[in-house]
Amino acid sequence: MIFTTPLGLLALLAIPAIVAIHLFRRRFPVRPVAGLFLWQILRQTPEGGGRIARLPITTSLILECLAALALALILAGARLSSAGVSQHLVVLLDDSASMAAVNARGESARDRAVRRVLREVDRLGAGARVTLVLSGDRPSVLSGPAAFAVEARRALATWKPEASHHSLALGIRLARELAGRTGTLMVMSDVPPGAGGESGALWVSVGEPLANVGITAAQRTLSPEDGRGAVSLTLANHSDSPARRRVSVSAGDKNVLARDLELPPGVSSLTLPLPPGLPPVHVAFSDDALLRDNDVVLAEPRPHVVGIENHLREGRGSQALIKALGALSGVTQAEPGHLVFADAGDLDRSQSPGAWRVGFGRAPAAWLAKGEPRDFIGPFVLEKRHPLLLGMTLDGVVWAGAMPLAAGAVRPLVSAGDQVLIGMPALTAARTRTEPEILFNLDLDRTNLIRSPDWPILISNLIEMRRQSLPGPERWNYRVGEWVRVRLARDPKSPLRFRCGAVERALPAGRELEFIAPSPGGLLQVLEGDEMLFELGVNFLDEYETNLRHQATADAGELADVAGLRVESGPASDPLFWLLLTIGGSAIVVNWCLLPQGSKRA
Amino acid sequence: MPTSSIDWPAVRAAAPFRLAMPRTPIGGRVGERLGSGTGSSLEFQDYRPYAPGDDLRHVDWAAYARSELLAVRLYREEVAPRIDLVLDISRSMAVTEQKLRAYGELSGLLACACTSTVADTRIITTSAVQPQPLHVPEDIERVLVCDAGLSALEEVHLPFRRRSLRVVVSDFLFPHDADVLVSRLARDSALLTIVQLTLREEAEPVVEGARRLVDVEDRGELDMVIDEGAIRDYRARFSRLRLGLSRAARRAGARFAHVVAGTPIRSVARELAAAGILESC
Repeated sequence: MIFTTPLGLLALLAIPAIVAIHLFRRRFPVRPVAGLFLWQILRQTPEGGGRIARLPITTSLILECLAALALALILAGARLSSAGVSQHLVVLLDDSASMAAVNARGESARDRAVRRVLREVDRLGAGARVTLVLSGDRPSVLSGPAAFAVEARRALATWKPEASHHSLALGIRLARELAGRTGTLMVMSDVPPGAGGESGALWVSVGEPLANVGITAAQRTLSPEDGRGAVSLTLANHSDSPARRRVSVSAGDKNVLARDLELPPGVSSLTLPLPPGLPPVHVAFSDDALLRDNDVVLAEPRPHVVGIENHLREGRGSQALIKALGALSGVTQAEPGHLVFADAGDLDRSQSPGAWRVGFGRAPAAWLAKGEPRDFIGPFVLEKRHPLLLGMTLDGVVWAGAMPLAAGAVRPLVSAGDQVLIGMPALTAARTRTEPEILFNLDLDRTNLIRSPDWPILISNLIEMRRQSLPGPERWNYRVGEWVRVRLARDPKSPLRFRCGAVERALPAGRELEFIAPSPGGLLQVLEGDEMLFELGVNFLDEYETNLRHQATADAGELADVAGLRVESGPASDPLFWLLLTIGGSAIVVNWCLLPQGSKRA
Repeated sequence: MPTSSIDWPAVRAAAPFRLAMPRTPIGGRVGERLGSGTGSSLEFQDYRPYAPGDDLRHVDWAAYARSELLAVRLYREEVAPRIDLVLDISRSMAVTEQKLRAYGELSGLLACACTSTVADTRIITTSAVQPQPLHVPEDIERVLVCDAGLSALEEVHLPFRRRSLRVVVSDFLFPHDADVLVSRLARDSALLTIVQLTLREEAEPVVEGARRLVDVEDRGELDMVIDEGAIRDYRARFSRLRLGLSRAARRAGARFAHVVAGTPIRSVARELAAAGILESC
């Protein structure tokens, strides 16, 4: 006999307690009477007492002890035999989309994998336990851990591989953890294992080399100059011969264009013109082995145009700024603008809301320290991680006319020694502006910065910083698994959520939204309550999964010989449980029936 | 199984009695006692007009001569009374040897009285068993097995006969409403006789100290100290029970007697005669 919860044996303490109760129970001389009811409302003597006498072995005592013993053994989980041992099979299923590629017979690697797993489960018997793990960047358990075979069958029927390319390493690690020392590991994939295989596991490759054409990159553009749109596709023909395909573009229910193409082996590009103003378009190629990479949904981008106000004094600096801005796209002169270039002395004046101010020259008097302006040739210390300074070196730059600044007045981005050259004014009690301001402690007319390669980079960074902060999505089309970032113009008034095909998730309330583009992709809508804010395209676009020529069929390694999984099927599986339950219950019932009426009433 | 061994010679010696009959007419088979209906005794009862089929010997010719109307003379019937002797055979009647012996003697005395009365006597012990005829006094020994868990008197329907003389013997030591019980026993009877038999210690218990009281019928238990206070309370309750029975019997026109076990049977017979239950043969 074994005990699954030995602590339950503490309940055996009930037996000495029962004996003590019987031992110390007050026992008066018995007097039979004919009419007990005549005595009953009189003063009764408490039943407890302290007179010790020889323990009377009564039926009640025996039955109570028997019931306590039986119940204690049940609590202790008494079993006649140890827990059963079942074979535990842990299967890592390659969830990549290439597993769904079908051959000429319409059979996919997924189908072959399911058949193979079921065959293995049948071989292990009805009592086998199965854990199904889906591979991926974040592996997940499809069935189990240690589920019954019938549950695993149901889970397998629902399995649809559609993930982007990923390493199986994380999935194997999770599967090994779930298998432990009692489970055997089997990997189902369409590619062979790496060199040396996977030790202690059976790697079953159920792939089949197939020719396939797929879209590996897609972009929808809108020319700001002439307003014409286009779709640019990168197509991969993974076969040895040209492939004829028909491409069709539709917007909603309307067919925009259709064209027959002959794609040479390898990678090729395709650009399709689109009229402007179309809603998200669906570009689809005719079917082949892998359907997942045959179509894309592309939303029309709406570029963020940054409005510029230039209030710099006429001179070399102002000219250099105009020249640098002219080389950038998505920039326009506007008033009020998103970005205001002005003399640094104006930075402490009030400004229209929503405008970032960039000040060049002498800082306001309140920020200055005593001293004369100085020129610097380096070394310059740059805050490299700041987006304003990405790609800048300031090599060979003569920084002219830098005024000494009061300590703490400006947070430095670029400095030379203890002198701040570029910085962002610190917020104080008197300065509570939330829109960023940037101080260039620089005499534009004397410095050679405006002639250095760093100047256009600096202005471009500045424009892009401002562009990134404008309301709207960072981009309009994404790959599955990419981070989608959306900035709202105002605080949301209703709950935010996104919907992408069958996937719908709530988003945290806030002006900046970040989430991962969900699989399987499609048209993604960002909603505020029932109002649609943005429509974005989410597409598969996986070059590795499109290439089906490296698939293979082979078995490598073998299932480990392990002890198996000890399984508990619950108390009902052991006859001793029912025996104890019967004994305990019967003892209680019989004892109750045997109890004198007076004791029951008491 | 407690049974009574009756000292029959002593009982017979004390039993030159028969059951006292009521003064009101009673029902029964043809016998030697005046009945409540019309019959063939010598006692005139009434006239009624002649109807075809009437016995011509009963036509009052003298009346016909006077009135020219045929009238028939009616006479009282003569019946043998029916006696239902109800014996309580619950375990409480045998709570001690003394009570069982006294119960046997009392039952024997009443059986002798019944057989001395020319009557159709039956013994009723429970509704579940057919009443037993009583031909000779010794017949009661067959039924006097006091092992029932319930008194027959606690049963709602006992197989009484209409207009019968009912003699009920019990200790009445069970919870009851005396008025309800007595009126139920007396319903449709010619006469109800109640004899309560108790032990002396049941009527007048003494201080005994701590005791576990065990009811002999329902096995109920009660631990208590029998002291002066308990005795006082008990006696008050017992007196109320006996007085309630007595009053209920009086209200129902029944006869009641309380017999204490241990009293010589000859004295018991005299007490019953004094109570109008027995009369000399």
